[in-house]
Amino acid sequence: MKKLLIILMIFAAYACASEVYFNSNWTLWKDATILIWTPDGNTPVNAAELCLSLRRNNTGIGDPKCRELGEWERDSVAQRYGQWFSQNLEKGLPPVHLRARHPGMAAKIQTLEDNIVLFLAPHGKDIQVAIFDETVQEPKAAGIVKANSDKIALSDDIAATFFDKRTKRRLSKEERLKMQTEPDDLYKEVPNIKIWAGVGVGFSQAHFPLTPDNWTSSHTNSRVKNYRATKDSVSLWNFIDDADPFLSLYAGLTWHGFIGIEFMYRYSNRHMKLDASDTIYKELDHWNFGQHDIGLNALLSMTYPITPWLDITPLFFLGFQYSFYVEDIGLKKGVKEPSRSYKYRIKFEDVYKGALVGVGGQFVFLKHYGIDLRAGISSRGRDLYEAPSPDAGAAPTIIGKSTIDCFISLGIEYHWTL
Amino acid sequence: MTFKKSILFFGFAICMLTGCADSYHWTASHPAYHKAPYGGIAVTGIENAFVITRSSWFAKRLEIGKDSIQIKGTLHCRSIFETEMRKAYGNLIVLPDTTNTKFPEESLKLDERIFIKGHIPEQGVPLRDPAGNVPPVVLILHEFIIGTDLKRENFFDYALIHNESGNIKKPDNVSAVYSYTLWDNLKQRPLFSAVDEIQQPITTYKLANLTNLIQLAVQKIRKNLYEGVVK
Repeated sequence: MKKLLIILMIFAAYACASEVYFNSNWTLWKDATILIWTPDGNTPVNAAELCLSLRRNNTGIGDPKCRELGEWERDSVAQRYGQWFSQNLEKGLPPVHLRARHPGMAAKIQTLEDNIVLFLAPHGKDIQVAIFDETVQEPKAAGIVKANSDKIALSDDIAATFFDKRTKRRLSKEERLKMQTEPDDLYKEVPNIKIWAGVGVGFSQAHFPLTPDNWTSSHTNSRVKNYRATKDSVSLWNFIDDADPFLSLYAGLTWHGFIGIEFMYRYSNRHMKLDASDTIYKELDHWNFGQHDIGLNALLSMTYPITPWLDITPLFFLGFQYSFYVEDIGLKKGVKEPSRSYKYRIKFEDVYKGALVGVGGQFVFLKHYGIDLRAGISSRGRDLYEAPSPDAGAAPTIIGKSTIDCFISLGIEYHWTL
Repeated sequence: MTFKKSILFFGFAICMLTGCADSYHWTASHPAYHKAPYGGIAVTGIENAFVITRSSWFAKRLEIGKDSIQIKGTLHCRSIFETEMRKAYGNLIVLPDTTNTKFPEESLKLDERIFIKGHIPEQGVPLRDPAGNVPPVVLILHEFIIGTDLKRENFFDYALIHNESGNIKKPDNVSAVYSYTLWDNLKQRPLFSAVDEIQQPITTYKLANLTNLIQLAVQKIRKNLYEGVVK
């Protein structure tokens, strides 16, 4: 029991011994060069021992080199900043308030290249630790460890607290030069105009997912008798198949990555919903309608460059469409004279007008190759106010007052910018 | 990052639409600013901070010669400023401008678009008075612009900095736009920085009014120093 207590106390002491104030994302190089900077010149650790501690604590660090940063310790600008830094380093203070303001000091930090500066300064019973690299004029990490006259234990403590992270391969001189001149992958201006063209497949159905069946069953269960008769003629889905795949072709553009317009064409083949019990259809071989939709959408979108090779553009669209139905009907071979009903069969309007609304997303790979997902709702209807026709006697010839369906689609696209 | 940018963009767009354009932060406090100066303070910058624009307008009303308005006018402002500060802080030390102006001029960020410019002491180098003492806090007055109908955003918002009013109309107010930093001289850090603006309606304008303007400015500085404390 006593032993356990002692072990626990040691653990507690170890846990309190060091404290990290902040530790932002800095790069620990494999085979790193660690420059130990102690403003007063009395380094509390031994450079060689620190290297050994680093190797013991972080197996990925390779063969690090450590040395004292004498050129900063002798420099008055660095000395002043070092003292100031030691005085100002407090728990909870954001690193931006610890920025080196003196141009000379800033220049020193910027010319560190890929060396890592380890700042050490005694502060009461603790040692202040901070890490600087070339990227910013403020420390990337800072904190305290407990002062210890045993230099090996102190090195171990520093290594475990601040250098326990994944390492990266150190770049060669040429690679560094190339990195410096490379443009930022994620930096780009929004193009004035972005254009795309694509081809897609989709599926539309009258029944909306997650809604009760009885909302649409009067349309979906409807069957056509006698070439024209249904329970009602409000929806086209009383006559033709209400769940079919479609093919789409589309092209669009967005202006300043925000507002866009898109032209689309869709084709689907719809079978007539024939009542199989009706013997009149024995003469019939097939009866389909080709549905052609032509539409124009207005888009609102925003592009997010997720990685250098992938941009994601969520979008919202709202548009209108015209639907045309092209009849394809044929009698069986050998039927010479169709029935009377065949001659007075249902006919579709020349054109139905409707609206589309929905959301989607474009996933553009390598700036050009896109995959597009959409989901939405579309409607079709006919003009309600029409001059009565003298031939209106043979009802119901004018059908499809209001037809609504939902759709999903998947497209592949090619994108380019102007 | 881009997400953040777009949020900013939307925020900015919403701001534009709802007309909350005047949402600048004109003050900035250091997280370690916990106590406003009380009793004693040092001040520097007052020799050169004061500038009077529209000198002929002021010369006519203050009955000072047009060619000496800058010198006499600013000297008056300086002495009033010093007197007022002395009234407020019994132990006032006035440091010569040169103690601070030997440091390079830098900009200090108050807001996304607001930057004040001035000489700021080097890190690790405390300001000393001529006797060699180190005052614990120093009020650095960077600029004190006196004019008519001035707006501080036209001076300090870098997006509006080139705005100039086209026609000179009859002025409504005498204005002061001034920037200052409360400097922690022991730890060499800016505790509090601000840009203030004072509008003083014009009826008749005499030297007493200018005195009053400076008095108002000092009052506002003191008020801001108290309000800027990080609790």
